[in-house]
Amino acid sequence: MSALFEAHDLAKSYGGVLALFLPEFSVDQGECVALTGRNGSGKSTLLRILAFLEKPDSGTLVYHAKGSEPRREVTLLLQDPYLLKCSVFDNVTLGLRLRGDRTHLEERYCQAMAEAGFANPMALASRTQSMLSGGERQRVALAARLALSPRVLLLDEATAHVDAASEKIIYASVKSCLARGVTVVCATHDRAIFDFLDAREVVLRPRD
Amino acid sequence: MGYFSDGMRQAADLLVHMDDATMSAIEATLVSTSWALAVAALLGLPLGFVLGYANFPGKRAIRLVSDTLLAFPTVLIGLLVYVFITARGPLGEFGLLFTLPGMVIGQTILALPIIVSWTAQAVENLDPRCRQTLLTLGAGPAQTVLLTLREIRYDLAMVCVQAFGRVVTEVGVAMMLGGNIRYSTRTMTTAISLETSKGEFAQGIALGLVLLLIAFVVNLLVTWCKHRGKTA
Repeated sequence: MSALFEAHDLAKSYGGVLALFLPEFSVDQGECVALTGRNGSGKSTLLRILAFLEKPDSGTLVYHAKGSEPRREVTLLLQDPYLLKCSVFDNVTLGLRLRGDRTHLEERYCQAMAEAGFANPMALASRTQSMLSGGERQRVALAARLALSPRVLLLDEATAHVDAASEKIIYASVKSCLARGVTVVCATHDRAIFDFLDAREVVLRPRD
Repeated sequence: MGYFSDGMRQAADLLVHMDDATMSAIEATLVSTSWALAVAALLGLPLGFVLGYANFPGKRAIRLVSDTLLAFPTVLIGLLVYVFITARGPLGEFGLLFTLPGMVIGQTILALPIIVSWTAQAVENLDPRCRQTLLTLGAGPAQTVLLTLREIRYDLAMVCVQAFGRVVTEVGVAMMLGGNIRYSTRTMTTAISLETSKGEFAQGIALGLVLLLIAFVVNLLVTWCKHRGKTA
């Protein structure tokens, strides 16, 4: 398999405190990588760098992009996701609309929501984020990412705040993504998750 | 207390029969305040957004100035603008003194720091995950700005409503720059001040009741904006 991400001597500091140091790191196309390590080992920092939200202070990161806009091939689901102050439908289809893609929005909304485990997506379409439970919010946020048909799905402890049932649905959905060839990188403390996803473990260690 | 109850009765009479002088003061107040708010919002919302959103050298100093100007005494604003628009001032040729446009200039200066500072505050209070979420969904810089504005739309509405409330109740600027001219620049607050000094309570009370009603509507709008901002 060809490498999708390749990183060498990646380092990132915040206010003089080293948050991440990673001598070697690579992710193959279609692979599932589980980032583990103690709190403060740099898992979230690495995910933000892989999502192009931040730049490393030093080192190199190469992403072998398919198109001209790498940032739109990669998407990140946060531990405690933010939903915009609009309807569930608008939240899920926002990424598509940002790309100027307005074709079959309803159909794609329903498909993404079904992948995120919602039996009746249209029943939730007009609800706002304040009307959703924590688990529903996380799955709506996941649906918003799945609607984009991403090439890379990054998960930052995506099930840390949800119940067991929602966790099961979310990881079943991630497993379906893997089956479709989506590359997944997730930060987690739960060994059962990366066993379930058949993920390669990468342990991050804080550099003292 | 007889004069007070008489005043109340006469005030009700003035309002029910839409007394010319009373209606003129209400109209002057609403016209000048609306113009001042429109201009201040046009200038202040973008300035406040940039101040809260972007990082640039001197940002903290500008913020400090804007926050300090929140306590700008209205009579001082009146005095400063007076110096500029009086016949001998640099803008004297425009004949703005003792006119509604002259009052609008002063009231705009009063409203501007409120709109700038509180807009910046609203942007700074926005959850940082919002920007991350927009970026990770593929938003470009302009789309991120527009969607951020949409996220704080109720806060911005609240800022404008509160600035309106501040301007509509001020007296210093209206008195110094408007000159309290009957049927022209006499506002509710300057009329109340004048009528009270003359011992004529009826019109003062009538206008006070209208001001109270406006304050009530303003607070109703603020509460609605807060509620919508939380539940949207």
